[in-house]
Parts: sequence; structure tokens; C-alpha cells
Amino acid sequence: MKILVCLKQVPHKDARLEVASDGSWIEEGNLKFEINEYDTYALEEALRIKDAGDAEVVVVSIGPERVVQSLRTALGMGADRAIHVCDDALEKTDSLGVAKTLAAVAKDEEFDLVLMGLMSDDANYALTGPMLAERLGIAHAAGIVKETLSDGSVEVERELEGGSLGVVSLPLPCLLTTQTGMNEVRYASLKGIMQAKKKPLDKKSLADLGLTASDVEPKVTVEKIYAPLKGEGAEIIEGSASEVADKLISKIKELGLL
Amino acid sequence: MAKILIVGEVHNGELLEATLELVTLARNVGGELSSLVIGSGVAAVAEELSKKGGGKVLLADDAFLENYTVDAYTQVICKAIDAESPDLVLIPNTSSGWDVAGKLAAKLDTGIATDVIRIEEDGGDLVFIRRMFNAKFDARLRLAGSPRIATVQPGACEAFEGTEAGSVEALDVSGLESRTKFVELRQAPAGGHDLTKAEFVISGGRGLQKPENFEQLLKPLVEALGAQMGASRPVVDAGWLPHDYQVGTSGQIVSPKLYIAIGISGAIQHLVGMKNSNYIIAINKDADAPIFEVADLGVVADLFEIVPALTEAAVAAKS
Repeated sequence: MKILVCLKQVPHKDARLEVASDGSWIEEGNLKFEINEYDTYALEEALRIKDAGDAEVVVVSIGPERVVQSLRTALGMGADRAIHVCDDALEKTDSLGVAKTLAAVAKDEEFDLVLMGLMSDDANYALTGPMLAERLGIAHAAGIVKETLSDGSVEVERELEGGSLGVVSLPLPCLLTTQTGMNEVRYASLKGIMQAKKKPLDKKSLADLGLTASDVEPKVTVEKIYAPLKGEGAEIIEGSASEVADKLISKIKELGLL
Repeated sequence: MAKILIVGEVHNGELLEATLELVTLARNVGGELSSLVIGSGVAAVAEELSKKGGGKVLLADDAFLENYTVDAYTQVICKAIDAESPDLVLIPNTSSGWDVAGKLAAKLDTGIATDVIRIEEDGGDLVFIRRMFNAKFDARLRLAGSPRIATVQPGACEAFEGTEAGSVEALDVSGLESRTKFVELRQAPAGGHDLTKAEFVISGGRGLQKPENFEQLLKPLVEALGAQMGASRPVVDAGWLPHDYQVGTSGQIVSPKLYIAIGISGAIQHLVGMKNSNYIIAINKDADAPIFEVADLGVVADLFEIVPALTEAAVAAKS
């Protein structure tokens, strides 16, 4: 079994985000980054399959030099090798450009399973997985909370609205995107981190993958990002804890709930 | 004039409200409207949509479509696009919407915006507005390619309530295939912790920091006020509370008289689940948290100071 796990590096959950001066993305200068939470469940799921039998787990990430740190973390957790795709032309690409790039990475590898998170915590598009499956010509299921492999196929539970689950079976090879909370993600052990230093990490440019900048020309352009318009926001109450508590209690009484 | 195709969604034989929200959105954009209804034995749903503003409704009715599979639905939507040549395709951003939309855009090699809340016209072009960074920012997107595709956040528009004479046309859906096989649908277990009818919900989020604080800090407050306890997704993902406490798109959609969010920043999936509450109070130490956008009353402070004080005041108020 050969598994590809696609990881995106995103700003740390608790990072204070500000809009960059050109207005089209956030200021990344002083931010701390981490592996996109949704993707960590995909990685954990791949590592569990490896723990349970014989599997090679390959991790891939697209981005500037800083993503190497996330790939090293994944290797420390137990992935076997890593691929870092780095190219200036990918900086402004869109989900489809990312999917085309990842498809080029996967093309000659004959993966049985491709895993990644349902969406990223930065753009929240939830597109790369289904797009990559289409580019690879394989079946997919988005937003899974459980997978059970058997010979040549995998049965998955997809999370639907209101807590119900859609159970479907897919033939291998296929692509699955993971919901948060589907497993308990491991930490890299000290031994793992030491071993990770000796594991292969290949760096590839678009040209190495047989692609050109025009192949990843975006069809989606983020013109502007901005803080949601204030004004409809909450009336903020201030004061000491007990003053605030008294005001809240009067409001609760006013609503007839106390 | 733009041509717009709405991909309708049917749940348990009934038209999903989100479909009628797309009708409102499409009418605001303006242009010639057609809709698609997919399923098995859904002719009545197509008839209903045609009378509720869906324009010309294409009916994809086949036993093979009884249960959703991404492959078959993608093929059907492609057939509808071939038949109608729309400039814009609108899909509800539901669990099947996000399964199918990316595949469709990749297949058609075209631009797509997901979880859109508004579409505006600007300089003769359409701009798609959506949230990003877990609702911390709004973004304006422009799309190239044809047709352009947008998945739309349920609840972002009011459902269209007018009536008019539309028409229904059968769409040829022969030759459908799916690599994915439907196994079964597992409904959420009934009789759990039901928040959908609660009058007063107090939810805790990641800001409570550890599971013990739900028991020691939040529960006394919930009990003192006679409310029901809810939670945000990260709390449930971490296993601190069971899934039937989760408020949000993948949990319960609540609309109590009063909703108090404590230590919840307000990711989109949470906001969608509680923003229709009659009155919302948010307590969070981050003044920029998106939860304050939907709240009526906000407290920007350390919940570990406010919650005990509030519990004390609630107990005092009752005695």
C-alpha cells in the first residue's frame, strides 16, 4: 500500500492576522505557521494504516522554504519521505493550480490512497481534494470521519448535516478528505524527530514536474480581503466582572429567562 | 444577459430550503434562470420548484439517482450545463455541494468560489463575496472561465417566497455510472441532547481550555440559569463533550430566545448554527473574534473572571 498525504502549511491557530498592504492576502512576515489542522487527521489516518500493516507514507507540501519545517514534522511523526514543491509561479495560483501540481507529483507514483484535509484553515475553500481526484481520474469522498480498508476498496463514513452519516464504498485507488476530530493525532517523538533528519526530502520546481507557469495560471483571483464590516456588531459592555455580571443578569431577566 | 443554472437539492424527498435561497440570489444577480432537480421519484419536487421561482426546471429522475453519489451527480450537472449553457452555476454549500463542486470545476477547468454569501456586480463583472480565515475576514473574488461556479452558504439569503408559472422538462440521464457505491445512510441517533427546541443555550468553546472547566465552570452557570449546554466543534473534536452538544452546520442548528457563547471565536460552521437565535451574548477575550459580528451584546474579557461572577449573580438573582 502506498499513500500520499497532502499537507498545507497555514498560520498558527492563535496567530493575530492582519491584512497585507496590497489588501489581497494577510501579512505573513512575522507569523508562526503549522500544518493545517484538517490535514493532520489525514496524516494520522495514513500513519495508522502504516502501523497496522505494510504501507509507505509520502507527504507533499507546496509553498516557500518555510513549509520544509512542516514536512520535517510529518517525517518525525512517521511519514517515510517528503516532497516539497517550491516555485514562484505557485505563489498566486488557485486551488485548481494546486490540484494540477499535486496531480503531476502523483502521476508516476501509483498511490493506492491519497489523503488530505477537507479544507484549509486559511482560505476555507474545500476544493483541492475533489479537484485533485478529478485530475487523477480517481474516485473521491469529501469530509470523512471514518475509513475501513479492505482488499481493493475502502468503506467510508461521510459527515452529513445534523450529525447523520453517509456510508459509501470506493474502489482503490481513491482520494479521501478528512473532517476534524476523526482520530487523535500523535505527536512526533524525540526518536522520530532524530530519524526524520535522515529521511528523504525532495525539492521540486514546476519544471521538474513537467509543468509551466501557464499551467497554474489562476482562474480565481482574490481581489481584496478585509475585516467584516463593523456596525452590525455587538454592543460591548464594560466594567468589573461583577458589574458586567449584573448587566448580563438584567438582560437575561428582560428576556424573560430568569 | 446572464444565464444562471441552480442545482437544487432534495433531502428525504423534500426540496431543501437552500435551493429557494439560491432562487433569491439568482434573481438578485438577474438573468435567465433554470434549475435542476436530481433524484428518484422527484417529479413533484421539480413541479414545486417550477412554481416557486425556479424558472425552467430540468428534472433528472432516475432510480440510479435515488442516493447521492458524487460521480453520478457530477455527470447529471454536466448534462444540464450542456443543455442550458449557463454563465453561472449555483450550488448549495452542503455536504454534497462541497463533495461535487470542486470535481465539477476541475472537470470543466473553470473558476469557482465556495461558501459564497453575496454576489455583486462591479464594472460589468460579478464579484463573489465569502468569508476566509475561519470568518476573520471577508474576501472579494473574481472568477475566470465558463461557466463560473459558486457554492452558496445555506442561510446567506432569504428563501424566495413568490409564486409563478414555470415549466418542467425531463433531462436525459441515461448512461450514468458511479465508481462510488452507496452503502447506507445513518441518521443521527434520536433522543440525545436536543438543543433545537431549547429556549436558552449556553455554549462553551476552546477558550475554556480544558474539559474539567466545562464541569467546574460552565455547568454551574448553565444550571443556575436553567439553560441547556452546547459546545463548538473543537470541543467535540477533542472529545471533551459528546457530538450531540455540538452547535453548527455539522451539529445542531439552534434558535433559542437567548444564546450565550463563551470562549467561542465563531468559525463559520458555528455561526451558521446559531446566528438565528433571538438574542446573542458573546464573552471572549479577543475583541476581533467573529462571534461579536453576530452578537447583540458582547463582553471582551477573560471568561475565567466573568463566568464565576455571572454564576454568583445568577444564584443571587434567584434567591
